[in-house]
Order: sequence, then C-alpha cells, then structure tokens
Amino acid sequence: MSGAWRASVNGVPVDRGDVPEDERLLDTLRWRLGLKGTKEGCRSGDCGACTVLVDDRSTLSCLTLTHEVDGLRVLTIEGADGDPVARRVQAAFAESQAVQCGYCTPGFVLALAGLLKERTTSASPDELLEDLQGNLCRCTGYTAIVRAVRSLGEDRP
Amino acid sequence: MAFALVTPGSVDEAVRLLGDPAAPPTAVLAGGTDLLFELSGTTAAPPRVLSLRKMPWRSIRWDGSSLEIGSTAPLRDLERAPRVRSDLPGLWSAVRAVGSVPLRHRATVGGNLARASPASDLIPILLTLDAVADLVGPHGRRRLPVGALVRGPRTTALGAGELIERVTIPEARPSAYLWQRVRPANDVSQVGVACAWSPTARHWRLAVGGAGPAPVRLPEVESVLDGPTPLAASTIAAAAAAASRLAPFSTDKRATEGYRRQVVEVLVRRALGSVAPPGGP
Repeated sequence: MSGAWRASVNGVPVDRGDVPEDERLLDTLRWRLGLKGTKEGCRSGDCGACTVLVDDRSTLSCLTLTHEVDGLRVLTIEGADGDPVARRVQAAFAESQAVQCGYCTPGFVLALAGLLKERTTSASPDELLEDLQGNLCRCTGYTAIVRAVRSLGEDRP
Repeated sequence: MAFALVTPGSVDEAVRLLGDPAAPPTAVLAGGTDLLFELSGTTAAPPRVLSLRKMPWRSIRWDGSSLEIGSTAPLRDLERAPRVRSDLPGLWSAVRAVGSVPLRHRATVGGNLARASPASDLIPILLTLDAVADLVGPHGRRRLPVGALVRGPRTTALGAGELIERVTIPEARPSAYLWQRVRPANDVSQVGVACAWSPTARHWRLAVGGAGPAPVRLPEVESVLDGPTPLAASTIAAAAAAASRLAPFSTDKRATEGYRRQVVEVLVRRALGSVAPPGGP
C-alpha cells in the first residue's frame, strides 16, 4: 500500500503519492529521490552511516519509516551546503582531511551538525565526541575525525 | 516485510483500532528503533502497524517532585530535560546507555517498556524509582507499577488494545545505573545494575537487568541495605555478594552465567558506593 508523503527535503518541497507504507526513509531518499549521499551501512541502527537530520534532529534513516516523518524537514548531505551549521561541519572535515573511503562521512557530518544545533551553550569537544559514539568509521580513520570535531568544539554554532 | 501503516489522529481512535476484535494482528510503533530492527530481519511481519506519532504523549514535565514522562517523548528529550541529571542521576545514566544520540531521538520510554527487552537499560532503573505507568485501553484507564507491567521477557500486562500513555516517577532519588558491555557505545548490556534510595520512605531499591530472562528487583538485597545511612562498606559488600547469589542469571550469545554473576557483584558494589559512599567498617 502506498500513500501521499509530503516533506521538505533539503529545502525543496516533495510531494509524492508512491511511497509504500512500509518503506524506510533511507530507501526513499536513495531510490525514489536519488539522493545517494545517504549511505546504507548496517541497516540495523548500529553504524550511523544513514544519519540524516529530521527537523534538525539526527535520525537513523534505516530505522525510520518514511511516512513517520510526513510533513517534516529532512536534511541530507546533499543539502549541507544550504545549511550554515552543516556547511561549517563539512568544511571542518575537509580542513582536517577527515575522510578516508568517505562512506561514513555524510552520517558523521549530519550527526555532528545535529549536536551543534541542539546546544544552546558552547559544547566541549569531549562532550561532542561522546555523543558521536553511534557513528562508526569502517576505515578506523578516527584520528582525523577527532581533529575535525575538536576544531569545531571550541566555538559556538 | 510488508505491512499497512495506520496512523490514528486521536487516543480514542487508536484504542478503537487496536481493540477491534476483527482487526488484523497489529504491531504498535512508537519510535520504532526496536520494532523496525526486528521487522527488518523477518518475512513474518504483522499485516498492520499502528503508529503512535500523533498521540499527545510527547511532553516531559515535573509536577512538584514527581516527573511525568509522556510515553512517546524521545529519550533524548528526557536526557536533556531539566533536573533529570541532577535529581534522578540513575535515570539519566540509563537513558544515556540506550543506543546513540540519533537512536535516542526516536526511541521512547513507552516503547522500551512495551517491548520489554530482557536487556532493557531503562526497566531496572524504573523499578528502583518505583515508576508507575498510566495505561489507556478499551476498558478505560488504569495505573500499574512498572514491576507489574513488565511480566517477563518480551511479555507485559498490556491487554488487547491497551497503550501506555505516561510513566511517572514519584520523587527525586539519589540513584545510579551501571552496565557492562562488549563495546561501551551503542551495544546491548550484558548486565545492568540500578539502585536508588528514597529520601522520604528511607528505603533502598536495587534491580538487575540484562543478566537473565527479565529485569528484576531483588528485595532480599534491599533488606540487607535498609538501615542506617550512609552504608557501611561491609553492608555494601554483603549486598553485592547477595545480589550475585540471588539474581537470575543465564548464558546467551552476549555472556555466560558465570561472567554475569561476577560482574553483578562488582557493579552492585560500585553503584551503591556511588550513591552512598561507605561510611564505616
């Protein structure tokens, strides 16, 4: 069964009538909307590769039904450039060369952008790193990721 | 998996849809982090999933000294709610133990209770805080202590068509929750130990989760603790030994019975010590 799904994806209104009721947000983004920057890692909520922002909250798109985010704002890595916080995180990752194969990068960038958005006071780098534990890097290239996080943790979003 | 998704717009409609004797088997979806994980790996999905996303159960508020947690409030909201970290430190630690931040943006207290995982990090601490659940169903509303709601592994006292609306913690309590895992982050606990002291009733509560078929309170251990505070080091040691003797332990893919027995003793000692530092011999 399919039903109407309306949302804002990366600032663009989306209105589709063909989204099956049991479809995951991850699959809608990748296969219906062609936004393949969102990666499928474990599909069980363990790796964080599929993290997107839903109304500014980091969300595992593999464990979220598309219809559950009806009417909400979805931000994927393709929209990071249009979001001041995500853009800043992306720049920090580039600056720190915090990318190896790149598969985990979109999830890391959006999870970290979500953490910065929800904080009203400045966040310590250690707090940010603790709250990023749900994102795994399969290359184990954490040193540069930690460097990127530390470069962001010192200032306010 | 293939199922129809129904999203009732009111509590009455949800109860009616669920309680209808002619309705197809229906799974209830709150945050979905446990349910959708389970449904990923099966072709035997129920034909219908009922979403609670439009239920008015997302608020978290203090009413004097008691904390009312809407059953579908995201765990991340609970973790960040005022006074939770300071007044209910064990609850704060237990919530933080669940998955990761993105997972806690969707996972809920109601879902955690209704799914009643043997390894739930929340059930042990809710038991020690004497939390109660408000339920709504085809026969009206009722209130059950969490200990009566969670009956066993993946088993609750929820009747047909019955839903959890709210979980209430009656008072702030010095408390702690400690766990042991293979990986510290984003893993399932092999053992979890919760303890809390009631400043009004002046009694201890201690519960163990993850170790056996279901989270349990250990009244025999609590009676070892009740008495003068702060606890004497010898009392803490006796309680830890009693917990490792009395808790139900089992062996599964995460740990052996013997390992769990040893870890419980250590965690009980540390948890009690962190709530009430030893005060004498």
